[in-house]
Amino acid sequence: MNLTGMLHGAKLLQFAGFPAAEILGPAASEEEIKELISRHGEIIIKPVFKGGIGKKGKAGLIGRAKDLPTALREKERLFFAEHRVGTTVAKANGVTYEAMVPAEHEVYFSLTDSTHFRAPTMTITHHGGIAIEELDKSLVAQVPFEALTGMRAFVVANALTQLHAPSEIVSPLVQHLPSLWELFHEFGMTTLELNPIRMRPDKRGRLTPVACDFKCAFDRDDPRVDRLGLPRSLFSVNYSDFEHEVNQLRTYQGQSDVYVINPKGTILAPTFGGGANSLVSEMLGDDAIISSDFGGNPPYEKMKELSRICYRYWLAQSNVLFIIGGKANNTDIFETFRAMADALREHVAANGPTPVYAVVGRGGPNLIRGMGVLRDTFEALKIPYKMFGFDSDMSEVINYARAADAWMKAGGREQIARQQRAMAG
Amino acid sequence: MYKKGVGDFKFFVGISSLAQIATRSDRVCVLNILGGESSDVTPVSHEYSGGNVVFGTSPGKGGSFVETALGGIPVYNNVLEGLADGHRFTCGVVYLPPAAARHGVGELIRVNPDMRKIFIVTEKIPAHDAREIRAMAQSNGVDIFGANSLGVADSWNHVRIGGALGGNTPEEALRKGSIALLSNSGNFTTTIATYLRMAGWGTTTLISSGKDVYIHYAAPEFAFALANDMRSKAAVLYVEPGGYYELDAEFTKPVVACVVGRWKSTLTRAVGHAGAMSGGGDDAATKERWFMDKFGVDEVYTPENPVCSRMGAVVTNIAHIPAALTAVMAQNATMPDFAPEGSLDLKPWFGRARDLQLSSELDLPNVVAMAPYDEQIEALNRQVGAVLPRQSMKDASGVSQMDPVTQVSSLRGMSILHAAGHPMSANLIRALLGRNADERDLALVDIAVGAHVNLHGTVTLAAVEAARQAGNTPNTVLAAALALVGPARAQQARTAVHGFIDLFTGSGLSVDDTASDLTAYPAPEELRDLVVGPEPDPRAEAMVAGLAARGVTSMPLRWLAAQGGHPRVTGVVAAIVGTLVWRSLAHKEISRITAEELPWWLELFGTMIGAAAPVSAHTADTFCGIPMTEVLARASMTELAAAALLGESPDASLLDGFAMLTGLLLTNGPGAITAQGAKGAVSADGPQTPERVQLNKAMIGFLTHAGYSHGGNGFEGMAFLLERFRGTGLTDPGDPAHGVNLGALAHAYAAQFAAHKVASKEAGADRMSIPCINHPVFKGKDVNIDPREEFVRLSMERRGEYNVFHSYYRELVVALKDEGATANVFCVNVDALIATGLLKMLWSRYQAGTFTEHDLENAAFTAFLFGRMIGCAAEIDDHQNRGRNMDTRTPQKALTFVS
Repeated sequence: MNLTGMLHGAKLLQFAGFPAAEILGPAASEEEIKELISRHGEIIIKPVFKGGIGKKGKAGLIGRAKDLPTALREKERLFFAEHRVGTTVAKANGVTYEAMVPAEHEVYFSLTDSTHFRAPTMTITHHGGIAIEELDKSLVAQVPFEALTGMRAFVVANALTQLHAPSEIVSPLVQHLPSLWELFHEFGMTTLELNPIRMRPDKRGRLTPVACDFKCAFDRDDPRVDRLGLPRSLFSVNYSDFEHEVNQLRTYQGQSDVYVINPKGTILAPTFGGGANSLVSEMLGDDAIISSDFGGNPPYEKMKELSRICYRYWLAQSNVLFIIGGKANNTDIFETFRAMADALREHVAANGPTPVYAVVGRGGPNLIRGMGVLRDTFEALKIPYKMFGFDSDMSEVINYARAADAWMKAGGREQIARQQRAMAG
Repeated sequence: MYKKGVGDFKFFVGISSLAQIATRSDRVCVLNILGGESSDVTPVSHEYSGGNVVFGTSPGKGGSFVETALGGIPVYNNVLEGLADGHRFTCGVVYLPPAAARHGVGELIRVNPDMRKIFIVTEKIPAHDAREIRAMAQSNGVDIFGANSLGVADSWNHVRIGGALGGNTPEEALRKGSIALLSNSGNFTTTIATYLRMAGWGTTTLISSGKDVYIHYAAPEFAFALANDMRSKAAVLYVEPGGYYELDAEFTKPVVACVVGRWKSTLTRAVGHAGAMSGGGDDAATKERWFMDKFGVDEVYTPENPVCSRMGAVVTNIAHIPAALTAVMAQNATMPDFAPEGSLDLKPWFGRARDLQLSSELDLPNVVAMAPYDEQIEALNRQVGAVLPRQSMKDASGVSQMDPVTQVSSLRGMSILHAAGHPMSANLIRALLGRNADERDLALVDIAVGAHVNLHGTVTLAAVEAARQAGNTPNTVLAAALALVGPARAQQARTAVHGFIDLFTGSGLSVDDTASDLTAYPAPEELRDLVVGPEPDPRAEAMVAGLAARGVTSMPLRWLAAQGGHPRVTGVVAAIVGTLVWRSLAHKEISRITAEELPWWLELFGTMIGAAAPVSAHTADTFCGIPMTEVLARASMTELAAAALLGESPDASLLDGFAMLTGLLLTNGPGAITAQGAKGAVSADGPQTPERVQLNKAMIGFLTHAGYSHGGNGFEGMAFLLERFRGTGLTDPGDPAHGVNLGALAHAYAAQFAAHKVASKEAGADRMSIPCINHPVFKGKDVNIDPREEFVRLSMERRGEYNVFHSYYRELVVALKDEGATANVFCVNVDALIATGLLKMLWSRYQAGTFTEHDLENAAFTAFLFGRMIGCAAEIDDHQNRGRNMDTRTPQKALTFVS
């Protein structure tokens, strides 16, 4: 749940009373743009992407304009711009028009939780405006502080002193930055980054920090995010319909983390436990349709609903239904397998038989009762199956599932389909 | 601001040795002890640890106890109450929901000055709360484990705190040894401990660290405490992407690090474990490199490329951990703790390939599972038959449904169109056993049903005749007969089947076994008295002769013969049923209840067929003129049903048509009135006590829910055709050279109908309709086809069969369009198949005057009942196995009052 850019960032900064560059959204009229230019002399045009995205400046995705025609040309160029970061392609939908803030000093500021310090940590440098990782470490201050006290003025002051920051920027930053802690901590953020903060002089030469770019990540498990009243659609871009449906079931009882690996894959692997999830996803590669972790002792109803969704989206194309996990500690195997079996019965009853080979690997409480329920279900649905105990090398069980997939592709699927047709008369 | 602890950490750490993490002297308080997970897990932990939980809390539920084998654990409303009651503890376990976990930690720290360690099981704690938990614990000198952790365990001390490591049988995973374990995955903590045992390595302290952004007890502290733990010679770490914890850890003892999650580097957002963000220099590849640098190796250890040093090895697959550890420890001149307990070879515990031709790598034989699972599997195998989950079966069915597009219903996965091509006994097997019938199945059903059709000299026949004389329709007549086939009539056979199943459960014998000595399975005395007797029983002997004549053999039949004495009818029926159900039971395709009820079903079907025949058809030696020896030795159920309808043995040409009729009528889904009647009767008996469901009463429910409109209306089409063909001189409806000008006949009626239609419209009268044409779904095109009619028509054409009445209907729908009576060519619907098929069968008898119109009406109704009785039996069996008591009730809010 990431948010980038000033379009929403400026509004969030208002919660902290932190000054931000004046900005117009995609719906701005030519008149409004013109006025913005006349007020500030120059504006910056940036494409609007949902969620987190890589560096736009380097990709040539930032425009500048001192007059309306240039602004409109840049708007046309950037409105539907595409931005590729690694394997991910993001498509813009709109642009923002941001006032250019003239400044001598640019500051980088971020708040996040450091696993090194095991505490919330402020990162700051007055050599901002560029990627922080490109700076020499001596130019950057990383200061952990205690969460109950919070990021107070002295934390900022000490850091700037340590950096030998120009004296004229210290006071305004000490005055304004601490309010960002409230925004970060009380609204469910895990990261907040302002880069650059441009130090704008007023008529008397006094500097005011003005945020000119904004990035933050929200904690999906923190209901405090809802206080901001942000539209959920802002974060939905990352999720497929399948993931979205599963996310609806996200509660603290049982994991329900899923990710579509390959929508054209052939192995449907409901996986239990983050460890198993890693191993399975790694070994199956693109044969896997989804990567999932359904562990954490999900209740029967939740597991059944998760299974229903998985089957509805993916079972028809699956060669292998691969139910896999390690030796569970507290997940009741009987309950989870019963839920998966019942959902499978209902799916087949509603949609007819589908040729699939079932492979199961699991351990944990009530294991044999659970396997018994699956066995009965596979038998009743005429699905061939193999179930392994937890004393089998999990990676070999995964290889067995891959072999089953290969066999299905080499005519096995048709064999099963023929058998199912014959049994249906 | 943190309290000074051990070591040179920049934060508080209180644990100096792994041996202090879970000790016998630790005393534990569990928050939310009555929560779903805790109430399961805490008693196991408490018992494993010798009783270390002093009390738990659950607001509003103070005063209760959590039962354990070591006595009850008291529950208080809050921590303060427990302390006030004199309890003292040093460890807190948090099972609270995420929103409450932070407050729980606050409560533990603030009210208990003895607090030393807190174990947080709760998942999905917001980072906000994790920060504050950290701050509270740091300033008060408390070690936190987790969150999102499955706690810790100590195999030496036999202690488990704050979670469920080892599941409900901790001893299975936790064997005393020399290896410490720290894992981001709770599940893999136990799985790795299990894997290590296979290679001869036991454990010291096991820690499920959790995997949130804040891992409060992480690799650096672990490395420090490992160094100070005299028991631990080495450690295994299971590591996922995210966080710099491992980078900061300084190990002084050998370590095998299993680093997983390279695949996540292709993703752009958090997946799975919350800390596992890709990128940021803490991805899996980077972490592998951290450990390689620590160990002085340059590659990942694999069995093919076993790279390791004295300091350790990096693996990326947990299955490689045991071998890597053994290799590393060998370089340290250290042998495993004990002899390897097994191997990690693939060991299928369950599997069945259903006669598929598998590749050799898939075709692995099942193996006996390790103890104690082998005994559990054996016990499971002793539970024969399937057990279906119970649910409300109101307006629901697990056996029948109608395809909303094609309007074709199916029974147990077979469409009625296909069922129409099978004999009744095959459809009966499909209905009750859910599978295709083979030749032996057909013979067994034919004999078992045939044995009950002849009602000569029985009170049932008298009841049937009395009901018929009273002017009842066929359904009511049959209901009178079934009322006398109550539970007591089937009790002995049911008991015998039960005894037979008990006797052979776990024997592993195939139903086709011909080699085993079955005298080794003597019937217990009670069973023996039921299946064989001292004197010959002529009915039983006749059935045995029938079986012999049809050449039927099976293991249950051989077993009956091996009992000595003379078989009783109960014995023969039990052996027949045993043969029919054995494979289905073994494969969990049917429940044991279904198997044990089958004798009753067979008697009910036989009685219904018998009761449909006129009294005169029942003699001491014959049924409908067929000698009883032939009934048992040759006749099919279809033949007997057709004979009951005709009052005499049908010729062979008629049988296919009759089977088609009954097949088409099998079911129309659970919404059909007949099905509703049957299901209501089951529901009222209470299927949750399935043995009390009265099958005969349920079938009466089906019968009472047939009537002139539902089932009895099949005659309408026949009456229409009789009127149309009156005076045509038709002799053989199956002869294409019948000599009747169908086109002219159709056009004449179509013109008459069109004129009548106009007249009734002008008069404002109800519109006249023609039976067996048009359909609410298959309409609106220029030429409309009911796909069910088309399927059967084409099947008939392929078999070279002809039906003049069917052809007439096809001409009629065209003529109606031509004459302007209809806007397009209506379809000939599925009802026409029944009317035309039955009329073709009975035409010669009608012409000869041996069948009146009333007889035709009865025949049409009875044919419907014969088809539907099989479908309704499936519904009854399904409801008995899946339904809940009184589940067909309609809730008050769904009812309406009409004034």
